[in-house]
Order: sequence, then structure tokens, then C-alpha cells
Amino acid sequence: MSSQANILARLRQNRPQGPALPDIDAVPFITFDDKFDAFRTLVRNLGGDAVQLADGDSVLSVVQQRWPQHGRLVDLTVAGHEESPSPHAWHDVDVAIVPGELAVAESAAVWVSHADNQWRSIYFLTQKLVLVVPRDAIVDTMRDAYRRIAIREQGFGGFISGSSRTADIEQSLVMGAHGAMAALVIFV
Amino acid sequence: MKNDNIHHAEAAAAFLQDREQARWHDSAIWWVRQKRDMQAKQLPEWEQLRALAQQIKAHTLSRLDDYLLQFQANAEKNGVTVHWAADADEHNRIVQGILAAEGVKKLVKSKSMLTEECGLNPYLEQHGIEVIDTDLGERIVQLRQEPPSHIVMPAIHLKKEQISELFHRELGTEAGNNDPTYLTHAARANLREHFLTADAGLTGVNFAIAETGGVVVCTNEGNADLGTALPPIHIASMGLEKIIPRLEHLGVFTRLLARSAIGSPITTYTSHFHRARPGGQMHIVIVDNGRSDILGNDDFYQSLRCIRCGACMNTCPVYRRSTGHSYSYIIPGPIGSTLGPSRDIKKHGSMAFACTTCGSCSNVCPVKINLHEQLVLQRKRAFDAGTLKPAKKMGLLAMRFLTQHPSLMDSGGKVMRKVVPIVPESLTRHSAWSRPGRALPEMPEQSFKEMWQARQKDKKA
Repeated sequence: MSSQANILARLRQNRPQGPALPDIDAVPFITFDDKFDAFRTLVRNLGGDAVQLADGDSVLSVVQQRWPQHGRLVDLTVAGHEESPSPHAWHDVDVAIVPGELAVAESAAVWVSHADNQWRSIYFLTQKLVLVVPRDAIVDTMRDAYRRIAIREQGFGGFISGSSRTADIEQSLVMGAHGAMAALVIFV
Repeated sequence: MKNDNIHHAEAAAAFLQDREQARWHDSAIWWVRQKRDMQAKQLPEWEQLRALAQQIKAHTLSRLDDYLLQFQANAEKNGVTVHWAADADEHNRIVQGILAAEGVKKLVKSKSMLTEECGLNPYLEQHGIEVIDTDLGERIVQLRQEPPSHIVMPAIHLKKEQISELFHRELGTEAGNNDPTYLTHAARANLREHFLTADAGLTGVNFAIAETGGVVVCTNEGNADLGTALPPIHIASMGLEKIIPRLEHLGVFTRLLARSAIGSPITTYTSHFHRARPGGQMHIVIVDNGRSDILGNDDFYQSLRCIRCGACMNTCPVYRRSTGHSYSYIIPGPIGSTLGPSRDIKKHGSMAFACTTCGSCSNVCPVKINLHEQLVLQRKRAFDAGTLKPAKKMGLLAMRFLTQHPSLMDSGGKVMRKVVPIVPESLTRHSAWSRPGRALPEMPEQSFKEMWQARQKDKKA
């Protein structure tokens, strides 16, 4: 017998009793009066920031103001955006502006799964990550988020919350472990 | 790989020789427990959330074979190759086979306790493959050629001075520069080169979704993402208990995992992998390695609900004061102390006694595993299997004899309460009670039984 058949046979034979699946909507979860404010307060503690785009302002100008000396900038939110010949060729991107589909107030997470992107490496190679999220696409909890997301990008989708970080040396929190050193969420 | 011959009490005694380091270890990990508490208190539904997670996992375990088959079918629909490994050896051979077929020379790995359990790194290195652990803590212990001491914080047993010295030697950082930011960014630069030049990436799996055939990996560093977005081959190794039925269930588990593990609302990256990157290939290796046996054990199968958050070790008064390196099994702390003995009671019997039975682990466990109850049952197995040191065995046998003979227990207690206070200090100097931080307890006037009887009499009067 193959390992698969052996393992499955043992699992079948050793089945313990178990309950039915619970209704995860039966329990009320936390809600926020001001979801944007909850999101912003949290993301600032996680190596990021969040702003609401003012009338007449543009994402690009917000980025320019924040990082006037920035290096290579790639904007995936525009149609016909720049493409890369390989996932590795994004290695020198300084600022990546990418569409975020949905934001979550309780965790400061943004769902990223962009149908019009070939190489997801850009999200993790860039030094500064800018996530552009529609103003009304913000939910209270991860349960609400999982109701609304879909895997649109080459089989990939991810929640990103703040910047890459680690506390592996003496529990000292350091921003910029392997991924982006800074994260900015712009609600438009 | 870990030395199976570690005896918990002896290794812990050696660790406690350095009082300052031991105190730091205790308080650093207790702080993580406190951060977990702060997160839990912010959610009014915390206890209900734990109950939901417990029910979902308990349900899944009751039909694991069905969900695994569903998972496999959906993963294959996505173009993913699914492999099954009965044990560690088969897992290692499968991974090596995939890498050999594509001529892989360098593999970047993100954190996976399963591959530690299987001893994958030494196996691949023997076959000429360079293996780079990329989680910062894992990289540190890999360079030191030692196992992780914690499942979430692999290098928590080390001080920054030790890491600075290591990086100076291995990565050429400035001698004496102990700044964690400087050291982290030096490792970042070094590991970026490895990510960009690796031929394949291997990750663990936090959750495998039966409904979609995808796997979810949670990290704060982004190493699993770089390791799978750049090289053309992604191998995901998963224990067969990692399965959850539906995508929506992540709305429960992602709320619990990072809050329980590190006191954060979520990890920086919660990545859902359903296919290889364009032009690449994705493999999932489903590993049994003793899990199906545990499933059939009424006393211990609940341990398969574990989501590897590490909350049980952060709260454990014994773990905090002994480090993960004092446990013989690769997973330390309360959860390791039931998983290890379940796997091999002869090797890991001492772990069942690394416990005060305080029950704190069971109280923080996000999937409500009855950890402290399992540890008591593992003690019985350790005793029956003859793994106890002679002194411990004699002590337990004497205690059993006493508790079975109440009048002897009463009179023995009476004698002890009289004699102990007048024992000269020279006689106790070399006993367990003379070690630093310990003292003979003061002897009460009455035994508990006498106090209880007096109390009952007062009530009636």
C-alpha cells in the first residue's frame, strides 16, 4: 500500500468523536465606532501609518511629500503599469504603490491580491510599501474580511499589517526584518 | 537535531547556574505572556473565540481523512503536487527528490518545526544542498549549530552580546556592536542575497484549507514570502493535523494565533498560497510521523488541535526557568511535554515531570487543549515504562505506600513536624532544600487533616 493509503486507513480507523462544525457567526465579535481611527492607531504601532486622501490631493503627491528623496518608484495602481521580466528584477524598488482591496480595523491588515500583477515579489522586496485602499472598504474583524476576499493574483493573496519586523534579538522590536521597512496605507 | 538523552531536571539545573541569564529569560518570556493578556482583554469575545477554535479543530480531527482528501483534490486542481510521507525519513526523501530533480543547490527555508522534527537540514546537507534558514532567530541558531529553544522565538535563550559575537564571526559585523537594529539589518542584507540566489524555497504551514486546497503561512519578517516569491520551486511541509475545513475558519484562527503567540493582533504577513509563482512549481508534503497513532489515543489525541502559538510555554513557570534546551524533544514546554512522550516515552519521559500541574497552560491555550491533565497521564506512562531515575522512583513508591496507609501518613507527618525544626543545618546543607533560592518550609503546628477536622467540628457546633 502507498503511504497515502496507509495514512488514510489509520486516520479512518482512529477517528475520535467530534462535534459538528460550529456556526462562527453565532458569536458577536467586537465592532468599532470609527474603523479608520482604530486602524490608524494600530498601524502606527506596527511600523506603519494611515491617511485619508484629501479632496484634490493625489496618492503620488502624498508619497512625494513623505519621501521626497525616494529612489525607484513603481505604481501598480495605474493601468498599463510597468512590468518586470522576472520576480528578481524588482529587487531595487524603493517605493511600491499597490492596490489593497480591503482593510481590517482590528488588525490593521490590508488584503492584497491584485489580478493585474505578475510577480508578487514586489510587495516584499520594496523598501517602502504603499497600499491604496478604497475608503469604504474597511471592516471590523478578520471574520468580516474572510467573507469578502478572493484569491485573484496567480493563486496568491495576503494580509499585510504594518512593516516587516522581528524581535528575535532579546525581544527588541526592530522594523525592517526582510520585507518593507515602512508601510503607508492611503484610503482614497 | 536535538540530543534525546537530555534529562530535564539536570539540564535545567545547569541552566540555572547563571542566575542573571536565567532571571532575564524568565522575565523576557513573562512579558510576552503579559502582552498576550493585554490583547485577550481587548476582545470581549475572547473566550468564545477559543471555544469556536476548539470546536472547529475537534470536528476536523473527527474526520481528518475526509478533509485531507478534499484538500488534496483541490490542491491538485490548482496545479499543486501533493505528496504523502508516513514518517520523517520519507518526508526527507521526498523533499530531496524534488530538489535533486531540478538540480537545486541552495534552498531557503522559513520557520518550520516539522522540518526540525524530521531532521531535514542535516539530511539535505549530506546530499550536497546548501540550506539557509531565513527566520532571524532560526538563522542565529543555525549559525550556532544548535536547535531552537522556543517554537516562536528560536533564539530567546541568547543575549545580544552573544549574537553580536556570532555575527561578527559569521557575517563580518563590527566587533562589540550589540545594537539589535544594527544586527538585524546586517542579517537582512546578508539574507537578501540568499533569497535572490536561491533555487528553491521551503515553508512550513500554519493552516491548510480543505475547501480551497491552499496553505496559509504567517510570519512577521516576510521571509516565507520572499522565499516563495523569488525561486521557482515552493515546497510546503505540513503535519497532517494542520487542516481546517473552510476559508472562513481563518476568521477565527487568525484572530487567535498572533495574539496568543506574541501579543500582536495579527502577524505582519498572513499569506495564502494556492499555486506556484508563474513559471514555477509548488509541492505540498503531508506528513504523518506518528500523528495518526496519537489520533487513536483517547488520552492524548486532543494535543493534535495545537496551532503552535507557544502561549503554553510563555506562561509555564517551569519552561521560563529552564529554557527549551532543557527538554529532550524538539518542541519544549507543556505542548512538547505531551507530544514528545506520546512519540517515545523512553526518550522523553523526564519531560512529563517538567510541570507543576498549575494548569496555566490549559488556561491560555487558544484551542483549549487539556495540557496539564495530559502531562499527569504522561507521568504515569513514564513511571510504567521504567524511565524514572532511581531516587525519583523510590520517592514516588514511598509516597504511594504512605498514601495507601493513612495511619502511617498521619504519624509520619507528626514526627516530621517535630523533628524538621530541630535538624541541625549541617545535615540539610547538601540536600535539595539548601540550594540557592530554596529553604526548608516552616513546619505548621497541625496537619491539613487535623485543621480540616477541627474546622468541620466548629461548623457543626
